[in-house]
Amino acid sequence: MTARAHRPLAVVTGASRGLGEVIARVLAGEGFDLVLTARDGPALDAVRDRLRTWDSDVEALPGDVTDPGLRSRVAASVRRRSGLDLLVNNAATLGPTPLLPLLALRPEELEQIYRVNLVGPIALVRELRAPLAVRHGLVVNLSSDAAVGGYPTWGGYGASKAALDLASLTLAHELAADGIAVTSVDPGEMRTPGAERAFSAEEFAQRPPPDSTVPFWIWLLGQPHDAVTGRRFLAQAEHWGVRA
Amino acid sequence: MSASSLDFVRPPLLQATDTPEDRGLARDEVRLLVTERRRTEHRLFRDLPQLLRPGDLLVVNESATLPASLPARGPAGEFRLNLSTRYGPRIWLAEPRWSVGRPGPVPLTPSDRIEAGGVPLHPILAFPGIDRLWFFRADGDLTLAMRRSGSPIRYGYLARPHELGDYQTIFARVPGSSEMPSAGRPFTARTVRDLEARGIRTARLWLHAGVSSLEQEPGGAGTPPVYPEPFEVPSETALAIRRTRCEGGRIVAVGTTVIRALETAMRDGVVQPVRGFTSRVLGPERPFRAVDGLLTGLHDPRTSHLSLLFGFGGEGRVRASYREAIERGYLWHEFGDSHLLWAAA
Repeated sequence: MTARAHRPLAVVTGASRGLGEVIARVLAGEGFDLVLTARDGPALDAVRDRLRTWDSDVEALPGDVTDPGLRSRVAASVRRRSGLDLLVNNAATLGPTPLLPLLALRPEELEQIYRVNLVGPIALVRELRAPLAVRHGLVVNLSSDAAVGGYPTWGGYGASKAALDLASLTLAHELAADGIAVTSVDPGEMRTPGAERAFSAEEFAQRPPPDSTVPFWIWLLGQPHDAVTGRRFLAQAEHWGVRA
Repeated sequence: MSASSLDFVRPPLLQATDTPEDRGLARDEVRLLVTERRRTEHRLFRDLPQLLRPGDLLVVNESATLPASLPARGPAGEFRLNLSTRYGPRIWLAEPRWSVGRPGPVPLTPSDRIEAGGVPLHPILAFPGIDRLWFFRADGDLTLAMRRSGSPIRYGYLARPHELGDYQTIFARVPGSSEMPSAGRPFTARTVRDLEARGIRTARLWLHAGVSSLEQEPGGAGTPPVYPEPFEVPSETALAIRRTRCEGGRIVAVGTTVIRALETAMRDGVVQPVRGFTSRVLGPERPFRAVDGLLTGLHDPRTSHLSLLFGFGGEGRVRASYREAIERGYLWHEFGDSHLLWAAA
């Protein structure tokens, strides 16, 4: 069957739960083969087993995006195939919870937030540049409204996401010659395990589940890459658009 | 808006079960309910040019209707798959239903293999919060499948199936609507000529309307959820609107699809050229700013369209006009009569 002739390949970080798992599920449904990473190995294996419902080839690589060893393992796995269509940098940390005012964070804690949320994603693009270029692939970096809000106690996380937004825009320009597209997505408020640590039980319960972003991901995957590169999207906005 | 505040009694007989042509009328001979600022008038659609002024601008939806209903089968048995919205070359949002008169949900799981119009399909996931709509991935060309074995989507209130041509408006140019953008249906070559002769201009955009089954057959309390639809407002249309406004003309949206596209395209009080998907909900909660008049059909109780009308024209005025429409036996639904509603002052 024609669909078997080429199966697209995606890498998703932080795929063991929450939004990462939802994105992996959408991709498996769309016929992608997947390389998934997360720190929680058993949870990641469970996601891999669930995704086998669709006949996708799913590989689970447990580890931390700050670990060069994990990034090499991801790159090695991708090299065994014919290029990479999509990289989703979803893994992130809020830092210490309950959240603290910026000046209450110890410098080491701030550095750790930056290592996970900023350096990890950029380093992974660096490792995967060649296979992404082969397929004229798309990089999606997950952002947050904290990147623009200046909310008290969200400064460490928010500044790391603001920096990632700028890295996304810069990479969109720098990698255009390679045919690689880079976009930034603020998924909006969600009831994910990551958010559970930052909100009261009542606030948390009012947030929509992460699968409310499913239509957005399916829309994004259907767009020509030149229409989305260098853009920042709000997944739960009432309008996803490009200039006519 | 809550469902109860959108209630009224529309006698069951007042729905068009056939086309105006079947009733012996030309398309532009359907009736036109006109809600002026303080009163309601009763005209024929072909009088429209006299109800507008030179310099006014009509904005029409040039989306063409697809034969979007396909025969399908899967582990649950035989059913129909009504394609709603194309998300990508092989990805569609669609509504599996048992038949014209019997909605789903048809039980589905992601491991099912189904087939529609001869094309194998994989269910991906249900639309969040709407278990009647699923995303599907096609292992083949659904456009070809529609041409081969598709028919226009219809619901139980229609007496018989109709040809695709009955579901096209004179403006249809960009295929993509799963259901006809029906406000444009009464326009004929004669009406268009009369409008031009009077100095009334026309501008185009497209918005591909998805399935309306949740409006036709509401499943629960409240207005049905609104899901994203693809649209484009071209730069010539944005420009024509700006120019009309400057020169003191009025903007009239032909259809709720057009008002939805234009309100989505507003930035800083001006309609901008834009392409994308919109899930903008229109109703009394937020002001309308893009248009002065709305040309539309007659809408059923407890629908999001009625909420839009109340928001745009004011609940009291719309209810007063609807009372007269019911007394005089106007016909509801896509082959029915028409309504010109001017914005609340």
